Amino acid sequence: MRSALAYVPRLGPLAESSALAATAFFGSLALVAFVSSNPIVLGGVGAGVVVVGVAAGARRALGAAARWGAALGVLVVAVNGLASQRGATILVRGWELPVLGQLDVSAEALAEGGVLALRIAVVLGAFAVHSACVDPDRMLRLLRPLARHSALTATLIARLVPLAAADHARLREAARLRGPAAAPVGRAAIVRRLVAGSLDRAVDVAATLELRGYAHGAPRVAGSSRHSRHSRHSWRFALAGAGIAGAGVAARIAGAGEFDAYPTASLDTDPLTLCLAVGLVGLAALPFAGSRKGIRG
Amino acid sequence: MAELVCLERFSYTYPGAGEPALRELDLELAEGEFIVLAGRSGCGKSTLLRALCGLVPHYHGGEASGALAVCGLDVREHGPAELGGAVGLVGQEPETQVVSTTVRGELELPLELRGEPGAARARAVEEVALALAITGILERPTDTLSGGELQRVALAAALVLRPRLVLLDEPTSQLDPVAGDELVGLLRRLNEEWGMAVVLAEHRLERCLAAADRVVALERGRIAFDGSPTGFAGWSIAADPALATPGARLFSLAGVRPLPVAAKDARRTLLRQGLAPRAAGIGGPPMVGVGRITRRGGGSFAQPPGGMPARRRRRRGGPSPALEARDLWVELDAGGVARRALRGLELQIRAGERVALMGRNGAGKSTLLRCAAGLLPPARGSLDAARGCALLPQSPADLLLRERVDEELPGELGAEALAAVGLEWAGERDPRDLSGGERERLALAVVMAGRGDGKAPGVVCLDEPTRGMDGARKRALAEWLGELADGGSAVIVATHDVEFAARFAARVLLLGDGELIADGSADEVLSGGWYFATEVARILGGGGAITPEQGARQLRESLAPPPLGAARA
Repeated sequence: MRSALAYVPRLGPLAESSALAATAFFGSLALVAFVSSNPIVLGGVGAGVVVVGVAAGARRALGAAARWGAALGVLVVAVNGLASQRGATILVRGWELPVLGQLDVSAEALAEGGVLALRIAVVLGAFAVHSACVDPDRMLRLLRPLARHSALTATLIARLVPLAAADHARLREAARLRGPAAAPVGRAAIVRRLVAGSLDRAVDVAATLELRGYAHGAPRVAGSSRHSRHSRHSWRFALAGAGIAGAGVAARIAGAGEFDAYPTASLDTDPLTLCLAVGLVGLAALPFAGSRKGIRG
Repeated sequence: MAELVCLERFSYTYPGAGEPALRELDLELAEGEFIVLAGRSGCGKSTLLRALCGLVPHYHGGEASGALAVCGLDVREHGPAELGGAVGLVGQEPETQVVSTTVRGELELPLELRGEPGAARARAVEEVALALAITGILERPTDTLSGGELQRVALAAALVLRPRLVLLDEPTSQLDPVAGDELVGLLRRLNEEWGMAVVLAEHRLERCLAAADRVVALERGRIAFDGSPTGFAGWSIAADPALATPGARLFSLAGVRPLPVAAKDARRTLLRQGLAPRAAGIGGPPMVGVGRITRRGGGSFAQPPGGMPARRRRRRGGPSPALEARDLWVELDAGGVARRALRGLELQIRAGERVALMGRNGAGKSTLLRCAAGLLPPARGSLDAARGCALLPQSPADLLLRERVDEELPGELGAEALAAVGLEWAGERDPRDLSGGERERLALAVVMAGRGDGKAPGVVCLDEPTRGMDGARKRALAEWLGELADGGSAVIVATHDVEFAARFAARVLLLGDGELIADGSADEVLSGGWYFATEVARILGGGGAITPEQGARQLRESLAPPPLGAARA
């Protein structure tokens, strides 16, 4: 079975937009997630990512991102709760832990961890939908003018997910083949091997790309016949992306959507912040407006 | 002939390596030559191919000295992208040689990157797809292709620019004998009709020597032999018998000269010496005398020796089978559509049997093994392995994730598993420090540990274990698997390597499109067909001899003067 993040050709506006527009669109969602600390705004971006994923038919990718985001989020909240010794609302006082010594756990530290976790989940979601819906071949062609002399960079960006997905499936199957008396293989061991192995494999694929002529000094990649059909959807995604990034950055500059964790957590819930969150969802859904075939499971 | 490649005292050392991979090579290749590159694993064949296309040293780094020019370009100054239009490379692992999402995209990519217009791209893709018989998969996503299909796509992508020189690193390792022979035939055709020079690194030399103009053998990074295929046959027997083809070994053991390059040469020599297979009492009609050959819907080809069907004979008494399939159907997901990979398989394998599972790419070999190991559920019917089943996958390295051998196999049962594969001494070693063969045995210990009745599982399966192995390692593996079978496990090896099957197996199962199309003893099955036959069987006309030793015995018997009484009669 294919990995949830592996690219599958789909119908719909996202599939028909150019890789540049699609990448800029998802990049803008990630950008707002990075510049904003307000959980309401982050929730708006997250909802936007979900809308896009569902509309593009990438529910499995969203599900996988949600699982990884939840696992990472729990870890981040726990670590931040223990590592940050700030905050006025002490939930656990004088917790004695080996190595770390005596620790307090505050509600503010947990809240700050929660915001970090939400940010990670949103970025993972945007990455997962992009990976599942944007053709890596088009990404490769997109990257060529930017990284002509680094086939490895291009491979890492455009092919790492498919390679890692294939390796992961193989390693998982190998783990199932181990005899009952062999040491069991946990996720951590597989991930460790995956990281090391995928990099090696990416180097091999990059070598192939070199041989195919990736760094060759041809004037430009020959045009794709689908280019003109991309135009309308590409413009929509590009404009929506610009709107999302613009709104997020402008709100940040204007001081809307503030969130301060310490000394006590304070959260902006003014109308502007709420409008921003709702507006982000609307902007994310905009490229799919009027498209029937995009709304599929 | 014009010079295409010129190496002068060329040496190369990989970054961080203690000794050079290539040592002071002097070599010239002419336009239109077909060269086979021979040598044991690790002798430098792959490195030489990588040097000829510019990946060494441009991509891998390291230190190079001496001169290397390809198509008039100094490789030290021109990288793989510049050489790519003139040189195509097909590497060992097809998985890493495909960079696009679809097959058509893969074939178009090199043309696009060189700015070819759409019409030229379409024509080039169509022609190369026709040549390699991949028109039917042009629109398929590359991640749904089998190993054999990937290999063809990688070759097509290397050929689509019509390079003057094509380099191939064990291109038949993933291909069944039919596809392997077709590939070598295609290369020969491209070489003869279009003057494309070919450098082909192979371990299974019997497949490609007949097509070659010249053989270059490497030994520890140096050229050990450079000459004609006929000269190579003699050199290999004298200097490194592990590199000798089965045909050359057959003649050498039987004392027949000259040593052959291919089956056709060998038969001609035998005819000249009055040893025509039929005249010598060797050979006979193909597919006759096979112990148990069954064909669904078509009845049986032949009755087994003894008259009674083998399956019924076993059911009357004796121990229960180690593996038993009853009306086994398995379906695979092929891009959202269910594909029947196994169709109504009926099979019994006894404890201690040595079985080779053969068939074309996609015939269902790996599916059967994965189903036996519990990775795939039957869609219908059953597959039972009463005393457990261990499966060694195609990439044994995927099973070795820790830094010490005894961390992979802890405790008493782990130690027993290590002892069972002869690695009890390696507990504190890092798996990466073991040799290739030892790593393969360690991986086998990992899948066997704790299965069965405490000693070994009832069935041990290996999926294509000889990929990339030289002759010496294959022989060692065959011997070791024989010992495993002698210990009571049924050993099933899915392989495309007929010579390995002949050496290892007592019984051969031939699958075709998910059905069992032949089931008989190795000497019967591997001497009775055209494609799934060893070189010795092809030389001797299919008389039951499949290994050089068996064939030589037959030849010596036919060479011996008849007994006096027989002469009088």
